[in-house]
Amino acid sequence: MPPLLDNPAAAQSYLWAIILLPLGGALVNGLFGRRLGRGNVGLIGLAMAGGAFLLSCIAFAWVAGGTNLHFVGDWWFRVVDPSGRAPISVPWGLLVDRLSGTLLLIVTGVGFLIHLYSVGYMSHEDDAGYARFFTYLNLFIAAMLTLVMGDNLVLTFVGWEGVGLASYLLIGFWYTKEENAAAGRKAFVTNRIGDFGFLLGLFAIFSIFGTSDFGQLSARALSLQPDWVLTSGVFAGWTMRGALTFATLGLFVGAAGKSAQIPLYVWLPDAMAGPTPVSALIHAATMVTAGVYLVARTNFLFVLAPTSMAVVTIVGACTALLAAVIAFAQYDLKRVLAYSTVSQLGIMFIGVGSGAYAAGVYHLMTHAFFKACLFLGAGSVMHAMHDDLDIRNMGGLWKKMPSTAKTFLVGTLAITGIVPLSGFFSKDAILAGALFSHNAAWPAVGKIAYVIGTVAAAGTSFYMMRAFALAFVGAPRTRTAEHAHESDWTMTLPLWVLAFLSVVALVLGLPAWLVGHHYAELFQQFTNPVFGRAYKVLGIEEHSAIWPYAVAWVVALVPGWLSWQMYAGSMRGFPDRFVAAFPGFFRLVADKFRIDELYEFILLRPVRKVSQGLFLAVDRFTIEGIFVNGVPKAVYAVGDVLRGWQNGNLQRYATVIAVGAAFILWAVLAAGGY
Amino acid sequence: MGTLLNVVVFLPLVGALVAAMLPKGEANQHRTWALVVSLAVFFVSLGLWFGFDPSRGAPEFQFETNVPWIASLGIGYHVGLDGVALLLVMLTTALAPVVILSAWKEIEDRPKEFYIALLFLETAMIGTFAALDLALFYVFYEAILIPMYLLIGVWGSENRVYATVKFFLYTFAASVLMLVAILYVYVNAGRTFDYVTARNTLQVTPAVGALLFGAFALAFAVKVPMFPLHTWLPDAHTEAPTAGSVILAGVLLKMGTFGFFRYAMPLFPEAALRYRGLIAGLAVFGIAYGALMSLVQKDMKRLVAYSSVSHLGFVMLGMMALTAEGLTGSVYQMLNHGVSTGGLFLIVGMLKERRHTRLISDYGGIAKQVPWLATLFVVVTMSSVGLPGTNGFVGEFLILSGTWLSRLPSAGLFAALGATGVVLGAVYMLTLVQKVYFGPNHNPANRHIPDLSVREAFVLAPVIVAIVAMGLAPQPMLQIAKPSVDRLMARMTAAEQRLREAAPTLRPLVGTEPAAIAFARPPAVPAPAVPAPAHGDAPAHGSH
Repeated sequence: MPPLLDNPAAAQSYLWAIILLPLGGALVNGLFGRRLGRGNVGLIGLAMAGGAFLLSCIAFAWVAGGTNLHFVGDWWFRVVDPSGRAPISVPWGLLVDRLSGTLLLIVTGVGFLIHLYSVGYMSHEDDAGYARFFTYLNLFIAAMLTLVMGDNLVLTFVGWEGVGLASYLLIGFWYTKEENAAAGRKAFVTNRIGDFGFLLGLFAIFSIFGTSDFGQLSARALSLQPDWVLTSGVFAGWTMRGALTFATLGLFVGAAGKSAQIPLYVWLPDAMAGPTPVSALIHAATMVTAGVYLVARTNFLFVLAPTSMAVVTIVGACTALLAAVIAFAQYDLKRVLAYSTVSQLGIMFIGVGSGAYAAGVYHLMTHAFFKACLFLGAGSVMHAMHDDLDIRNMGGLWKKMPSTAKTFLVGTLAITGIVPLSGFFSKDAILAGALFSHNAAWPAVGKIAYVIGTVAAAGTSFYMMRAFALAFVGAPRTRTAEHAHESDWTMTLPLWVLAFLSVVALVLGLPAWLVGHHYAELFQQFTNPVFGRAYKVLGIEEHSAIWPYAVAWVVALVPGWLSWQMYAGSMRGFPDRFVAAFPGFFRLVADKFRIDELYEFILLRPVRKVSQGLFLAVDRFTIEGIFVNGVPKAVYAVGDVLRGWQNGNLQRYATVIAVGAAFILWAVLAAGGY
Repeated sequence: MGTLLNVVVFLPLVGALVAAMLPKGEANQHRTWALVVSLAVFFVSLGLWFGFDPSRGAPEFQFETNVPWIASLGIGYHVGLDGVALLLVMLTTALAPVVILSAWKEIEDRPKEFYIALLFLETAMIGTFAALDLALFYVFYEAILIPMYLLIGVWGSENRVYATVKFFLYTFAASVLMLVAILYVYVNAGRTFDYVTARNTLQVTPAVGALLFGAFALAFAVKVPMFPLHTWLPDAHTEAPTAGSVILAGVLLKMGTFGFFRYAMPLFPEAALRYRGLIAGLAVFGIAYGALMSLVQKDMKRLVAYSSVSHLGFVMLGMMALTAEGLTGSVYQMLNHGVSTGGLFLIVGMLKERRHTRLISDYGGIAKQVPWLATLFVVVTMSSVGLPGTNGFVGEFLILSGTWLSRLPSAGLFAALGATGVVLGAVYMLTLVQKVYFGPNHNPANRHIPDLSVREAFVLAPVIVAIVAMGLAPQPMLQIAKPSVDRLMARMTAAEQRLREAAPTLRPLVGTEPAAIAFARPPAVPAPAVPAPAHGDAPAHGSH
């Protein structure tokens, strides 16, 4: 494939192949998978993901060399109105710049590893299930790549909903269990609520800019005056800033749905019903970060709407804290990781909300590595524990499953932010970025987010160490844990690769005071072509204070150490005493603050009741009862009365005539005075 | 060229006449014959598809035939197709063989009459779309009632008589009003029923125009059906045999929306401009209302029927937006609804054939038994909820964006309310999927349901192909619709100009709002009362 490396035009023309390979894999496995045999199914799935990864590497090499790849596509749909304008023009165009290129590598790279892991993990499925799994997994990769590479918002939306479909199918993969099917539907519907916001934001962007192409949007956003007043369209009378705030908030509602932020996060913990590789790939590493990607992608719009940025930051911070608190009281290993994901996504939103775009995307990347590693580790544990995920039943797995335990430890330390793992640099770049940010509309927001985010980080350190200690340290607490054994190489190899990546990714984010300017914040430098202008608009300069790093270090170490003492060390028994002292509070947290029940009460039940009520009151009673059947019935009733007079009975006619004649006679005679 | 269209219109009728001569006892002969005829009609109609010229200079109506029929009354046999009619004719000719094949096993009782009715129905439907003479149109339009009445009344389920009477009275009563309006047009358009002539010569006062528009609109609104005239639909859909439901959802409802597009709006554009807000309001209400009703249905067919109310609300909303995007999306959504709701009824019919029940609660967890049916149902569901990549997305997206960009008062609100249908659609459809296919399979009667047969695969394959093809490559069909959309836009713009002559301060009504960035002003300068003219997209301001 030398032309791909020599000639950007050739490389551009191959971009669609990155999407079509996994899509083709999904088609083949979906249509013929049951007949192909599981070896071939796995091979096709792996080969397509691997092929996409190789092509992504080539594309990445181009953008790393400074050449963006842009495939200018034919129209997908386009409506030209009689005056020749065509605002709704959607091409099949793809764009790989340094932002989407980075995501491309994460999606295909982690995706490939998880395909490999799944070959072993899903081996207990029957042939049909096995084929179905790889069909959905390949479909997901294709949709996610569309989301990442689309050169306009509509194509991003295509991928956006496509990954939602894949997620729905995979959460409900074991559909014979009612709760799995329900969790899948919950995920899809909650995401659709977010997509409602996305659509409105998209329409708003169409009506402001007349395009949804990222390149054109960015160019037009550069030239506009935020204070100017719009005179046409839906936003007539609004300032440009107000209209952009509407549009970006709409997009953020979409992002909150996909990336599980308050108030739409409730689907993600339930999504753990899906097979563990799915939790790792879709519900930790890639799909759920799409919202962060969207905000980063449209940074040129967000920077003009400071209120939207403040909302993103605060929602992210609150989500980070809420989810971290809930994670304290969970005993299901995957649920702990799920809430941790929600929390980490919140941290990423603090980053992209306060203008620390590179840090946000950098954390997206390191999180993809260590959280995928943790989830796959949980999957490996799940296999060994015969699907029991309660950490109270584990213990002592360190000796039974050394690879899983060691990689899980690496992941734990990385997410906790212990130096020198990658999580430290990415998370603290975000928090420092928030601290030194200046939101034009809400100046305090960065500092508030810094405080909340730091508390959430401390919580993360505590509950992650708790999970690790309970699962892997000490003596086995059950017979299953006693007889646990390590998984085979297809599962441990991805673990080691991801653990390795969780460590080495740190080189991309070393601070300047440590390594000097040339090697500092490599990822920041790398993405500067994408985010540089946004930094200029926001007035963000480089900062190289050391103290936030010191704070972060303490915040990572102390709670982690405390947690270790409480669950594996000398302070054992303290958690139980704490729970015994505040049983109500603990129950509330363990029940996730009963947010699901609240939604059921204030939203779902009213909708059902109103629908049922409308059905009975309007359709059944008013329209059907009164108008459709009531009017004819009234006509019949009148007819019935009248019919009584004309029943053809001669004797009755005669009687009536006789009585009538007698009456008239009597009246005439009476009137005559006789 | 005209011959081709005449063949397409009358070939099914000829087929029905031949079928009448075949022996009654030979059920398979009738089935095969009907299938052969409908396939022949489809292949001939492909000639229309490839022969149609959608370019700007091409005549509005193609494949025209115009001969006197009852000359003394001014009634002509005038048929021809514009882009929209062509698309709907293609939808009809494509659905007919699918429907006939789907009824193969379902209809054991009086198959001869059944297939004769179907073929007769096909002629009437194609004729309705092809007619260019008001009297001829009315004849075809009403002729549909006869076979449809029989389809539901003879081959329907338990409550069929009630449903039939209701269906007939609802649609007939409303179309009688339309007949009165047609007669008025006849008198005032120079004693002719010819649509093209009438459209050009008709002069009515605003008050009369409003009444006439109302009469047409009412007839079509029943057919669409729009809230609150929709209650015949759930009954008719539910009681009809599968073939009847598919035809009803796939084609008959489009006669209402087509009627607005072809007759009510072009004939009385001023009245249409005046009442579009009301119609759009009912449409949006219908979107949400139909969706909420679908949430609480216990009967699968009734659920799908109410979802039609919601989907047709989208069609009407896009039409009332009076933007190229909205109108195009509206036309496209007519086709989409035919494909996706047709597909839903087909699969529900297959389930009913196996289990003899339409109640959702009688199913549950059958995906294990019928993996192919389940998979295809999910695909059709995704089309119905407008997942990108399926046909439904293109239509809904064009309608909602076209509404947002339109000059309808409170356009943003209309679009936002319409978009709630996207969320609710996912709720009721996925709930249906979950309750029917997923979860544990407790009911012993559901343990041994056969999966998709080869015949059924042939029934559903065209639906699936259409969903994907129309989702990924909509442009050819949008191009065919374009001339009709442009002409309607021009007609409405002309009416707007006439209104503006009477009221110079009238705000713009028709067309797409330009990108706001081109008409932004510095805050100090007060904005003028009338927004800048919308013709041509002015270049964006440079760096000020």
